[in-house]
Amino acid sequence: MSKVKTHKVIGFRSTRLAIIFFVFILLLSMKFGPYNQFQLANIATLLIAVLSITLLTGASGQISLGQGAIMAVGGYSAALLVTRLEISMWLAFVLAIFVSALFGLFLGLAAARLSGPYLAGTTLVMALAIPSIAIRFDSFFSGDIGFSVDYGYPPDWLTNLLGEITIEEWSLYVALPFAALSLFAVLNLSNTRSGRTWRAVRDNEVAASLAGINIARTKIIVFVCSSALAGLAGAIYGFRGLVAPSVYPTDLSLLLLTAAVIGGLRSIGGAIFGTFVIVFLPDVIERVTKFLELPETISIYLPALMIGLLLLLTVILNPRGSAGALEHIRHRHKH
Amino acid sequence: MNLRKPLILTVVASALVGSLVMNGISATAASVPGVSKSQIVLGMQLPQTGGASPGYNKIDDAARAYFDYVNSKGGVNGRNIKLVVKDDEYKAGRTITTARELINNDKIFAFFGSVGTQTHLSVVKDINRRGIPDLFVNSGYSGFYTDPKKYPNTFGGLGTYTVEAKILGKYLKEKYPDKKIGILWQSDDFGRNALAGLAASGLKFEARKTSASFVAGTHGSIGLGTQIGQLKANGVDIVIIAAVSSATAVAYATAAALAYKPTKWAVISVGADATTFQTILGARGTAPATSAALLAGTITASHAPAAGDADDEYIKAFKKINDDFNNGADKRWDNNVLQGMNIAYLATSALLGVGKKLTRPKLVSYLKKNGSKLSSAAFSPIGYSGTTHEAFTGFWLGEYDASLVLKPIDGTRVVYTTDSANGPVTVSNYKRPAIAADALPRVG
Repeated sequence: MSKVKTHKVIGFRSTRLAIIFFVFILLLSMKFGPYNQFQLANIATLLIAVLSITLLTGASGQISLGQGAIMAVGGYSAALLVTRLEISMWLAFVLAIFVSALFGLFLGLAAARLSGPYLAGTTLVMALAIPSIAIRFDSFFSGDIGFSVDYGYPPDWLTNLLGEITIEEWSLYVALPFAALSLFAVLNLSNTRSGRTWRAVRDNEVAASLAGINIARTKIIVFVCSSALAGLAGAIYGFRGLVAPSVYPTDLSLLLLTAAVIGGLRSIGGAIFGTFVIVFLPDVIERVTKFLELPETISIYLPALMIGLLLLLTVILNPRGSAGALEHIRHRHKH
Repeated sequence: MNLRKPLILTVVASALVGSLVMNGISATAASVPGVSKSQIVLGMQLPQTGGASPGYNKIDDAARAYFDYVNSKGGVNGRNIKLVVKDDEYKAGRTITTARELINNDKIFAFFGSVGTQTHLSVVKDINRRGIPDLFVNSGYSGFYTDPKKYPNTFGGLGTYTVEAKILGKYLKEKYPDKKIGILWQSDDFGRNALAGLAASGLKFEARKTSASFVAGTHGSIGLGTQIGQLKANGVDIVIIAAVSSATAVAYATAAALAYKPTKWAVISVGADATTFQTILGARGTAPATSAALLAGTITASHAPAAGDADDEYIKAFKKINDDFNNGADKRWDNNVLQGMNIAYLATSALLGVGKKLTRPKLVSYLKKNGSKLSSAAFSPIGYSGTTHEAFTGFWLGEYDASLVLKPIDGTRVVYTTDSANGPVTVSNYKRPAIAADALPRVG
């Protein structure tokens, strides 16, 4: 970092970038048909979860294979609040952030003592175990059936303002502001003192400790922030139709990690790119297989295969992901 | 992380990825989505890949084969039926996306034959909210059908687990009054519905003694050793299984390994398909003769004729169509193929019944008013009415013989009928209409 930016400058920059993202997705949605509008809503939702990995793994070096489970915590919190206490969805989303953050605090207390593969293993177990809790205590969590929840209908003032709003547009309008706010928060956190502290811990714990940083406390704080984001993503994700164990399977956690790695674990721009890839790549492949008239026995396996291949190629050829590649190209142009 | 320029570049690059898949479908939609002068488009979601796919992944190919046959005979009122299928991998999160794809990109007229309870739960509210007909869901979960005010457009494609369990429970209780009856069940909607049905018939089980449960989907990784061991230790004579086919196979193999031989096995039908049972055990290295010997003697129920009943007129006709029109990877004749064909037959009847001026509300209203009069291969009456959207309200009980053909228990096929609540189990007097020579339904 060549110069220390003032908070005001960082805040201004983060605001500007979050607004650019918001407006850009909105403009893009106007060009798209309903299905791709819904996919943009998926991108906005999953981006929040991928950003939670960028924060946790990219910025502070802690590996989590269980972000999907924290999403489930957020999803169940919001669904329980809406169905049992009948509070508004918006308030439920905000409260889900706090519940997930609290969950992240407990997780962080354990995680502060673990690192590397031990932490990855623990979080993977969490990804496997949390959905089972819903089944074990089914009278409270509604077992496999889960909770049928959705975004409801757009408010009248918005319909009066914009005209008729389709279900897909409404999905996007619900998810996008949260995505932009999350982007703003992560940009801010990364570029201020907290972010520098986290990176110091990531790069060398001993050096960071010598510089006066409380390692355990820092790790816990990152877990809290990351879990808050994952929980929010989980709540929005669940309200697409259902909050149930099958909505948050283990491979959701792995898919999110894949997005973060493809984009570049340490890059926020990479998180956006990676999310676009995991959401849109299966559609691109479907179009190609349709065009090439490939038999169903091949085409149904292609999306998972291609995403896996892309992940492997990224790790082997360019571990810093697409963001790293982009930076490399920029540097080559400069010199 | 100074990412100002890269971030903007990334947003643009990401948008380009998105642009690649921009919806190419023009806005010239017909007045009724999915219906043109020459075509009716139906959409199905089911697991074509993944752990839950074996057996069930044949339903779409079978249904398509029947529709292709109908199309070869001139279609329905001059329109061909096109079936678009999406693989949801049995993951509810994925089902939400594939449903939107079917609605918005493929512009389907109606959902048809969707497989799975949890997966369908994730979209059923949305489908009904949009007024899209949701035909013949391949789930026996009664929650979809017994309150038509909640899901007015959703109609069942199977009998409910509760109805089947009530009929099975009554039989076992009366036939084996002195035997100790136990249950192995998966702790989800399926298992719970079955337990409720058995309880309604007077069969109660004791937790950790005669009742052994497992978390759905864990039988492959964790196995069922503890559960089968528990039933053996408690001297259970008759084991009822309410679980998917792959779990049934694991249960039998585990019992064999533990030298546990209950007097009888009784399996709820969705987990009792003989071909799937043998395929799963075959993949574990069990010879067909051995797996056949394991399953022989098992009691199960069916609303349709036994897949192995070569003399049944519907089976004969459907088998011929399967041979000639099924282009699927595995077209071996079994219960899944029969089910796919039968609901396609039922859909063709309903579409014929509505007539040339086909709309979504007309189809739903037709099924409410006339659905119970539609015929199919089933020996059971269809329950569709203003108060319930359950499909097959009757089952006959059978026992697998040595060649794994399901034969009526005690020699004569008796179809019992009941409801998904506390109504009594009675003998049905429904007479199945004969199939036409051309295997096309006749309506009206």
